Amino acid sequence: MRRATPLYAAIAAVAAVVVPYVALGGASYEPTAAADPCVAREWRDPGGVQAVLEQVVLSAVDGAACELGVTREEFVLAMRDEESLDAFAAQHRLSRADAERAVEDALARAIDDAEDGGALSGFAASVLRRAVVALPPWLVLEALESVRGLLP
Amino acid sequence: MRSWLLGLAIGLALADSSIVTLALPEILSQFDVGVATVAWVLTSFNLVLALLAVPAAYVARRRPRRTFVSGAIVFAASSLACGLAPSFEVLVVARSFQAAGAAAVVVAALGLLSETTGNEVRAARYWVAAGVLGAAFGPSAGGVLTETLGWESIFLVQVPLALVPLVALRGLSARPLRAPAERPHLTANTALLLLSGGLVAALFLLVLLLVSGWGMSPAAAGLVVTVMPLAAIAAARLSPRAIGVGMRTASGVILVAGGLASLAFLPRAGWAWTIAPQLLVGAGIGLALAALTERAVAGRAEQVVHGGWTLAARHAGVVLGLLLLAPVLTAALDRNEDEALRAGVAEVLDSRIPAIEKLRLAQDVLEQVDSAEGNGELPDVGAAFEDRPSSEEYRDLLSGLQDQLQRAVTNAFSGPFLLAAALALAALVPVALARGEPL
Repeated sequence: MRRATPLYAAIAAVAAVVVPYVALGGASYEPTAAADPCVAREWRDPGGVQAVLEQVVLSAVDGAACELGVTREEFVLAMRDEESLDAFAAQHRLSRADAERAVEDALARAIDDAEDGGALSGFAASVLRRAVVALPPWLVLEALESVRGLLP
Repeated sequence: MRSWLLGLAIGLALADSSIVTLALPEILSQFDVGVATVAWVLTSFNLVLALLAVPAAYVARRRPRRTFVSGAIVFAASSLACGLAPSFEVLVVARSFQAAGAAAVVVAALGLLSETTGNEVRAARYWVAAGVLGAAFGPSAGGVLTETLGWESIFLVQVPLALVPLVALRGLSARPLRAPAERPHLTANTALLLLSGGLVAALFLLVLLLVSGWGMSPAAAGLVVTVMPLAAIAAARLSPRAIGVGMRTASGVILVAGGLASLAFLPRAGWAWTIAPQLLVGAGIGLALAALTERAVAGRAEQVVHGGWTLAARHAGVVLGLLLLAPVLTAALDRNEDEALRAGVAEVLDSRIPAIEKLRLAQDVLEQVDSAEGNGELPDVGAAFEDRPSSEEYRDLLSGLQDQLQRAVTNAFSGPFLLAAALALAALVPVALARGEPL
């Protein structure tokens, strides 16, 4: 047996494990990266009532996140409660009012888009616009649920 | 028979450096302390052992029997105190006394083994093997005991076991040594320190990943990590005697570092993926740790003192590893928790469950996250689904959330495993630099 044979055998054994592990995705086994909120998302089921409600809110969240330069998920987590919203605003050097205004603007745009696209009736759109002004962002989904029956 | 009993004492004493790893979550919960604080159950033991190993060896060279008996009694009494500890502070103090007892038992046992085996080199090999096996089987034994009888049983079981080896001393006339001690083998001891620092990841982090990260039971995790000591035994027995100490060390260090690097690149969460890396690490331990310890101890005057030095080097390495790796892991877990939260929110938003339910479910999941954060545990996202329909949409969402969590946790351990691999690999540096003290 050559003197360095054990050393070569050890290197070969290590390579026999590390190389397949990396090839199978070991170097990229991490949480899924967040999607760009500025890229428009497709409607999953544009014909259903549920999809309309969802599209309005998700589109609004995407719009607000895009405007503030953060991910959609980061923005939703900031909307969790007042404490989270304050922390988010401080981290991104925004005032709390800026963050809330971004949500309201984005919701208003999403409602306009839904109305223009025929997904919301004029009356429903009007009720939703009032809800956007009156309610904290994290309660807007509740408002959408309450106007479900008014959808076309 | 006497050698076996002394081997039991050595293995038992050194198993304590890692035996409580799987019990840490229970200890944390019982005494209501933080993650950084609970690590002192491990750190205190290894620190005291590192500090007292050499002084204990100088005492043991003159009075091996008395040192062994005193050490065994201190070890047994402090094990009892650990098992009955009413507070966390008492537990840490008792662990420190346990380490003092362990230091005395282990170094004195080396001198006594020279008498029972009749040969210093054989005694050193026996001593090395018992110590390596004890440390490597520690997490498995601790895991099984924690799950079946509770964490206190880990210590209570040791009380009688620590006293049994005293039988080995009956009729044994130990010969006190008076020859001046050679200076410690700097190369082998420095390499041991670095290698032991890297092995912290295999002995501590891996079991944490299995239990706290992937939700395995302590007993099951304990069984999974027996692969390492078994591979160590196989490598030590199967490696041809013709291979020199230097080559065994270099090959072993590469296997340990490669195994730790493999753990940093796990392609999926799941215990089966840890088997091949464990085989590498175990084989590396069987070659390098044994070769280095033998080199530093065997046949050197006085052997007991050199045993003390290797013990100090190994456990100083464990402390170094704990101090280096724990903050890196904590920071990575915090960062990946944020990423997992974002990925989890994306899963909920993109799921096919009703829109209003998304918001409510997200709130419930976040409550689980907050509650787990307070306890220093990983969130049980499944609890947020308990009162919800078991339709395909919810099942898919739960599976997606669990996948994101496992990705985040597994990925958080990657950095510490890579750092540990680098630390282990650094053991080659003193070996390569040694001029006057070739291995």
